[in-house]
Amino acid sequence: MVRYLIGRIIGLIIVLLIVSILAFLLMHSVPGGPFDEEKSPLPPAAKANILAKYGLDKPLHEQYLLYMANAIRGDFGISFQSPTETVIDLIARAWPVSIQLGGLAILLAFSTGLICGIVAAVKQNTWIDYVVTFISTLGITVPSFVIAIWLLLIFSVQLGWFPTGGWPAGGEDWNTMVLPVITLALGPSALVARYTRSSMVEVIRSEYIRTARAKGLSTNLVIMRHALKNALIPLITILAPQIPNLITGTIFVEVIFRVPGLGKFFVSSIYLRDYPMIMATMLLVAFLWSITYLLSDILYTVVDPRIRLQA
Amino acid sequence: MSRKRTWFVVILLISSILLQACGDSTPTTASTSATTAASGAAATTAAGGAAATTAAGGAATTAAAAASSGATLPNGVTLPADAAPADQQVYLYHYDSTSDFTTIDFFESVYKRGGAISDILSDSLVRLDKNFKVQPGAATKWSVDSTGLVWTFQLDPKLVWTDGTPVTADDYVATFRYGADPKHAWDFTWFFGGVIKNWDEAVAGKVALDQLGVTAVDANTLSVTTVSPAPYLPAMMLYSNPFQKKSLEAKGGLYNSNPATSVSSGPFVLKEWTKGTRLVYEANPKYGGTNKPFIQKIIVIGAAPSTDFASYQANEIDFVVGSNLSPADNQIILSDPKLQKESHPQPNDFRTDYFFFDTKNPPFNNIKVRQAISHVVDRDALIQQIIKPTQGIPAYSFLMPGFPASNSAGLKSIQNYDLAVAKRLMAEAGFPDGKGFPKVTLWLRNEAPVRQAVAQAIAASIKQNLGIEVEVSNKENKTFTDAMNAKPTQITFGMVSYGMDFLDPYNMLSVWLGGGRHNWNNDTFDGMVKKAASFTGDPAQRVQMFQEAEKLLVTEVPGVFIYHRYQSDLYKPYLKGTELEADANGVAAIHWPGYSTYNNVIGSMYISKDVASFNRKIPK
Repeated sequence: MVRYLIGRIIGLIIVLLIVSILAFLLMHSVPGGPFDEEKSPLPPAAKANILAKYGLDKPLHEQYLLYMANAIRGDFGISFQSPTETVIDLIARAWPVSIQLGGLAILLAFSTGLICGIVAAVKQNTWIDYVVTFISTLGITVPSFVIAIWLLLIFSVQLGWFPTGGWPAGGEDWNTMVLPVITLALGPSALVARYTRSSMVEVIRSEYIRTARAKGLSTNLVIMRHALKNALIPLITILAPQIPNLITGTIFVEVIFRVPGLGKFFVSSIYLRDYPMIMATMLLVAFLWSITYLLSDILYTVVDPRIRLQA
Repeated sequence: MSRKRTWFVVILLISSILLQACGDSTPTTASTSATTAASGAAATTAAGGAAATTAAGGAATTAAAAASSGATLPNGVTLPADAAPADQQVYLYHYDSTSDFTTIDFFESVYKRGGAISDILSDSLVRLDKNFKVQPGAATKWSVDSTGLVWTFQLDPKLVWTDGTPVTADDYVATFRYGADPKHAWDFTWFFGGVIKNWDEAVAGKVALDQLGVTAVDANTLSVTTVSPAPYLPAMMLYSNPFQKKSLEAKGGLYNSNPATSVSSGPFVLKEWTKGTRLVYEANPKYGGTNKPFIQKIIVIGAAPSTDFASYQANEIDFVVGSNLSPADNQIILSDPKLQKESHPQPNDFRTDYFFFDTKNPPFNNIKVRQAISHVVDRDALIQQIIKPTQGIPAYSFLMPGFPASNSAGLKSIQNYDLAVAKRLMAEAGFPDGKGFPKVTLWLRNEAPVRQAVAQAIAASIKQNLGIEVEVSNKENKTFTDAMNAKPTQITFGMVSYGMDFLDPYNMLSVWLGGGRHNWNNDTFDGMVKKAASFTGDPAQRVQMFQEAEKLLVTEVPGVFIYHRYQSDLYKPYLKGTELEADANGVAAIHWPGYSTYNNVIGSMYISKDVASFNRKIPK
């Protein structure tokens, strides 16, 4: 297990290196730079000054090595979009908001999804099952931006129950959280419901469940202790990748509902050629994905003792 | 048992991570003062009262108004009789949260101000009234010497910074030097280039900054020397909001990004700037200038432009800029009599959308080809079917009606819609029915869907009538701008727009000068524009000189002019004020320039008692 983990961690470092090189090359090969002129060109002398100030006048490989040397020491530079704070400060300010939103959405998605999935499986082929299946199909197929607009129009503009946006971290009321969390949770919740249902249906038919029933256990006990735990394995595979997605912020839900999270920086840093921020967000995402896969592999061994991790 | 414990640990871990996340999420918000919280609470109560039965709401408002009527507010103004109570004098505004927003100071960056309300922490030398007439600002008067080169501005001695020190000519000198400093590499240096003496030389690092033509004669007298006579110089000084010299030198050009280091001599002070979320300004009680606002607080909230209309309908904001309204939003507004009254069309920055060519290389170095294209654009149909009459008017020339020296009617026939002439010209150019003409790509700069549709429609007309294959390609902003500014240009055929920076024909026409934005050189045109620009004689004659230059521009067809944009902003009927009433052109709107560029807060504007019938939500 320890050897396995060491191997995986070395792999993770290699992945981060490759991602950093690719991201660096790609962002510098896109035309345009962070200090382009909008209307009329700057004199070359002034332009050279500003490029030198940010080290953009050096050859690419030198820029990359310098960046990595600083990054290893924890210095990810200063974001061009927000020159009064470091990239680390910016992420420390924006990311917790995204984690909060994503975390709440995950809680909501898992709880509602699991319950709906279990109920649908137990009441298989009844009207309850059909309703859950219909709603979860809708939840998976309708994109979040459509849901966001629906919720906005109904609950903010027409009924006036919730604000059109904001977030408690920005000094607003807690009720600003309701619509973005629901919007974000709907898709994953539907996914959880669908997978819980299908894997439950499969498990319920298995022999050991029949044995459990035969020895006289109550239905609830059979479902919760015997069926659900085994039905969770495929769910981990499906859901683990949802977590980094949700906690790094989704550009659309955050921007529409004015949630001051990390999501928008994934896009704006590219549009604005904010090189330090592009690198930081890329590395963060690569790191989170690698860690998530590692953790979900470990989680398999917890849920299913037959699985052993070997290097 | 042990497995149960493992589960327990996993759940504990997850919940602790989440809890920690929640705990850490309070951002480093600048301290909001007790008064802000108190007035917020009062505002909420008042709004709550108003939301109750109409009679009770009305009574509450009257009582509150009576309490404040005649009372002088902290910044020394007395509210008009029909104004809502002081705690309701809050202006709620959205900026685009996805835009580049790092500063609220013009001389730090023009393009990184996020479209938020900016430049209200100091006074520019002049202001414009609603008819675009130059009015005294920080300068009480100004004059030019007999050579027409040396301008002297007398500063208002009553202007003080919030730290108690007076505003002096040195603050302006330091600010202009900062703008020309090659180390700063300001994104708007071109603006004063060729106008202020030694500006270009300083920006290029060829002369020291103390050689710049902006000097202090004494504490209250500023002198500006120009390269050649520039009668439009006072109008340009709309953009002269100074930094405080002391803070600029000690803390650099971003000192206003934090209330703790911010200092103001303008109508407002910065109270809060929570990055990515919102800015709060409050009326400056120490403001000594002549533009004291009725509005006591401005809350500028970062939001997606596409949601502004929803927020407006939910009474969360008072104003929506017309360019943020989608065609669907505009359709809703047109069909709702109440919203229609809240829509205020205005020419904004007199923006013209046009096609441009690389005129020095084939295939567009042939003027007949360019002329042919100018004749296949059916502007009237485009306005009726795609753009919509509330959003624009046809353009056959560059200067929009209402802009000085505009000659729309006189120039209309040069680039008019005439298919027969277009086809004949194409044949004369050696490409009958487009035979032998290469396929071309029309570049667009990250245009909104409506202008993509306009470009597609014109491309179809070019193909159908001239036989030229045109592929429309909407490029990302920086890719386009880089290619356009490259020397030699990398764009053969493109569509772009231009809006004024100051109200003089020289500003608009200068974009066509040789070596500038477009690959077209015409020495006659350059000479005419420059001569008119520095002409100090009869203003009517100056206008005529510009009109002749524009006629040459339209005739030589370096550009095909398509439409002049109108902007129909939405604002609530409880926004009142003399500057919101109809101007000389009949435009009743919160229009450019307020008292500086992006500014939509005008001194005379206030929230009237009518606000009581809206369930307006003022954030804490």
